[in-house]
Amino acid sequence: MKKKNTFFYIIIVVLLLVNGYYYVLPYFKNANKNLELVASEASINSNDLIDSYILSEEKTDKLYSGKIIEVTGFVKEVTFLNNRNTVILYSQNKTSGIICDIHPSQIEKVKNLKEHQKIIVKGICKGFLKDVVLLNCYIDLKLNE
Amino acid sequence: MNKILPFFLLLILLTGFSSEENQFIARQGHVSFFSYASMENIEAQNNQVLSILDLRNKKIAVSMLMRAFVFKKDLMYEHFNESYIESDIYPKATFEGNILDFESSLEKQTKIVRGNLTIHGNTKEIDIKTTIEKINGTYLLSGEYNVFVKDFDIKIPPILSSNIAKMITIKFRFQYQSYEE
Repeated sequence: MKKKNTFFYIIIVVLLLVNGYYYVLPYFKNANKNLELVASEASINSNDLIDSYILSEEKTDKLYSGKIIEVTGFVKEVTFLNNRNTVILYSQNKTSGIICDIHPSQIEKVKNLKEHQKIIVKGICKGFLKDVVLLNCYIDLKLNE
Repeated sequence: MNKILPFFLLLILLTGFSSEENQFIARQGHVSFFSYASMENIEAQNNQVLSILDLRNKKIAVSMLMRAFVFKKDLMYEHFNESYIESDIYPKATFEGNILDFESSLEKQTKIVRGNLTIHGNTKEIDIKTTIEKINGTYLLSGEYNVFVKDFDIKIPPILSSNIAKMITIKFRFQYQSYEE
């Protein structure tokens, strides 16, 4: 009988832990995570990414949307609009670029960026409007070192 | 013929210039929404909203990615995109409208923008009271609007209905630049 009870309690504890991991933990998890140590799922240059979106938005969304991707490109502009740190990468296509919303931990790197500088940005791809949108971005300057 | 050609060229050039001055773009428009409920308040921000303002035709178009809304907690983001908005099926929300009685000479004016708002694949005609400010030759549009969740066929399970308000307040702020094609 005792064995039965112990087994029952173990099941309850396991269920609580699983429940906690999947439902309670995400509730307290901050959505604004730093991707520095997270591996990217794909690596692409800015021109190819934009060309791919212009060619087929639906197909490219399936490949990259919601995923952490690494994009290599050149800095077109750095803006601090709406109190956000944003780096825009340009592409061969004049009307489109890549809007990278930079994680607050990268502020020093953002301040030192120069126009036309080649960088790698790792961020979560959110999709395409007139530009590709990447959020929670981490900047890798290794290229220039 | 030789006399007519420069005239035509000038005409084309002038048309080109005037369209440039009348069209503005905001690539980093700000849209936020707020849900006030007894259980918890839910707030999200999107800072990458695209908007094009065409003052010649007094038209405005807005497009935003639903997955680009940033919440305080991961779980809120998941519920919003997977259960309510269904972002995989409806990744964007759009608005297309006309500015009623716009006067180009005024520095600051509050006007009604009447148009169609599409969220979750459902379109509704709405009137939005919008403040239009002219700053150094470009424009800043801002305002807020209340939407009813039921108008856009967003289903909230009864068990979660106390967590989410029936009416959501949407705020927007678009800072335009001249449109470079």
